[in-house]
Amino acid sequence: MPLSNNKVADDGSSTLQEGKAMVDSLIKVVACYRHLASCVGGCTDSSSLRRDLRQTRERAQTLALSCRNHLTTRLRDKTLPEAERKEAERQWVSFSSCLELLHADMSKVFAMAKHFSLANNSTMVQTGIQGGTTEVAARALSLPDLQEAGAGTQTSSVEGQEQSQLEQEITQVDRTLDDMEMKVNVLRWTVEALGPQHTDPVSTDSASLALLSMDEEAAQRFCSHSQMFAAMMLCGVAMFAVVLSVCVVFLV
Amino acid sequence: MTINTLSQDGVQRQQMPCLTKMERMIISMQDPDMGIKLRNQRLLITVIPHAMTGADIVEWLIKKFTISDEEAAHIGQFLVKYGYIYPLKEPRNLILKADESAYRFQTPYYWMSTRWPASELDYAIYLAKKNIRKQGELIEYEKECYNALHKRINHTWDFVVMQAREQLRASKQRRKADRIVLECQEQAFWLVNRPPPGTLDIINYGPERRTMNTRVQLNAEFYKKEIEHNRMSLARNRVKSSICLESYVKYCEQYQPHDPIMQGCLPSNPWITDDVLFWNMNSEAVAVPTKLRVERWSFSFTELLDDPMGRKEFLIYLEKEFSAENLCFWQACEDVRHGESSKIPEKVDEVYKQFLAPGASRWVNIDSKTMEKTLEGLKRPHRFVLDDAQMHIYFLMKKDSFPRYLKSELYKSLLARAIVPQETKKSVFPFMRRQRHSSPSPALVTQTAEDDGKTKNSNSVKGNSGTASRL
Repeated sequence: MPLSNNKVADDGSSTLQEGKAMVDSLIKVVACYRHLASCVGGCTDSSSLRRDLRQTRERAQTLALSCRNHLTTRLRDKTLPEAERKEAERQWVSFSSCLELLHADMSKVFAMAKHFSLANNSTMVQTGIQGGTTEVAARALSLPDLQEAGAGTQTSSVEGQEQSQLEQEITQVDRTLDDMEMKVNVLRWTVEALGPQHTDPVSTDSASLALLSMDEEAAQRFCSHSQMFAAMMLCGVAMFAVVLSVCVVFLV
Repeated sequence: MTINTLSQDGVQRQQMPCLTKMERMIISMQDPDMGIKLRNQRLLITVIPHAMTGADIVEWLIKKFTISDEEAAHIGQFLVKYGYIYPLKEPRNLILKADESAYRFQTPYYWMSTRWPASELDYAIYLAKKNIRKQGELIEYEKECYNALHKRINHTWDFVVMQAREQLRASKQRRKADRIVLECQEQAFWLVNRPPPGTLDIINYGPERRTMNTRVQLNAEFYKKEIEHNRMSLARNRVKSSICLESYVKYCEQYQPHDPIMQGCLPSNPWITDDVLFWNMNSEAVAVPTKLRVERWSFSFTELLDDPMGRKEFLIYLEKEFSAENLCFWQACEDVRHGESSKIPEKVDEVYKQFLAPGASRWVNIDSKTMEKTLEGLKRPHRFVLDDAQMHIYFLMKKDSFPRYLKSELYKSLLARAIVPQETKKSVFPFMRRQRHSSPSPALVTQTAEDDGKTKNSNSVKGNSGTASRL
């Protein structure tokens, strides 16, 4: 679904929001792409992963293109007020960093796909991952769920085609980066970030590494809060049972 | 900043060959029949497959390559240090223990790559993720890096934070076991690529080197260059190590009495005792030189010319022999070679007028061919235009005048007159002057001398500040 941005906006703030929304969605897609790329060559590498990668990449490309057009027109507009220009420059910097990440990931995927070719049944590295990545891809493409379209087996010709396509897209992103630098001159040292240095945690879900860090920090604490609570509950129940049985014994 | 990783100055970076070899080894470990035995890792309730013990790794290496225990352990160490295998129990300790400790393979995305080195942006995103996941999880050096990065790439910090959040949200879509594995992988990657201070940095890139352009055209031009290069390499002068070692030993024997570290320094080593008598005795304009110094002149002509006093003595001798113009010419040529660029034309002119022009006051005897070449070059004077003539005169002096000088009365009497300095007596109080560390800066010393105004005070201050500066 390419976002068309042909109409000239007359309300400045709405284009600002539009630009921000586009950059944000590009960031999301690039994050998902990176996540998918980290599974290439591993034991879960399959044709569906490659397909997910391709679709995410295509989405990222279309987003990047519309983003670039939007931001270039805004920044070349001489009549832009100062505050909006600053905001646009910030978005521009985010956009170019995003594109750099995408470029690096695409190059890595290209190189890895050469080594770990599905068509030639090359051995994949057993990395310990078990699950699939369809949810991540669905998140990237903003679809509620991804239809398991017939992935099929990869033949070498199909793979070769995909590789050359990927190569073309990499050079295209390369050129985009160069063009961007040529067309719009954003002085990076004048751009200041708005957000704080340290941000609040996204959620309190710290279960991930906590299991492993427990081994390391075993010396520091014997048991965490939840364990203590469970232990107390158990003690309470045991005490109650003992009291009950004593009463029963004495009364009967 | 936008840095194109694909083309650096139009040249593609190469993967280091040792890394490609390690990658091949890892791939061969994956073979279902001949590969490594994999077990399951149990973490309370979650079970994660594809773990192996250190002993398994070493055993596999021994069997596959038929090597010794030690060598297998050494190769296994490389695999762990370069991040192809990471330990599960103690992730910060990147060593291979050939026992029951568990390891797992790193995913190819995070393999060490010299083609795409880990960038600052990536590291910033990783640290931001770690910070967001659990406040205060960053270790000291990570906190410092985080702050430094915040300053350095401040312009893109919004992006860093947003990308970190998005990556965390994306990983939430996976199941718990996978999330743990992904975090371990990333952590291992950054432990290898941004090691904590004090640990070994396995990939020390050093200054960016221009790698050869891989896209070479295999045409006639290329082969001609190769042939020329190989021909020149063959023609290079080679000496058998037995011969050059002999001369090396001779050199060491000859110079050993002159080496202050090997033989000690008379009267005393100034760096140790803070006594500058040694330098004073060996300065340029001293009346009576030390014996070692004069002896050294006989080792080679260069030694004689390098020592200003030696040069002076040699000049006196040459004047007696009426060939002093040679040495003067040589000195003038040295001045041209090492002097100011702007003064070169006038200096060369001077030299020509004094030494080379027919009928000059101090005409030097150069053979006709060299003279022709030099006169040609004088039309366009540059720093090295007098090199050939200078070389000719140098060898003339070396072959002719120098041996005669060494046999002359002048030299022999100087050698007889030369003194051997007495070793300074060690001070009566043995703990006073035993300073084994370098003395404080002379500037500091002179300033304290000025402040106090008494030499005695300055001595004690020197001693005090010396002890203070001792680590």
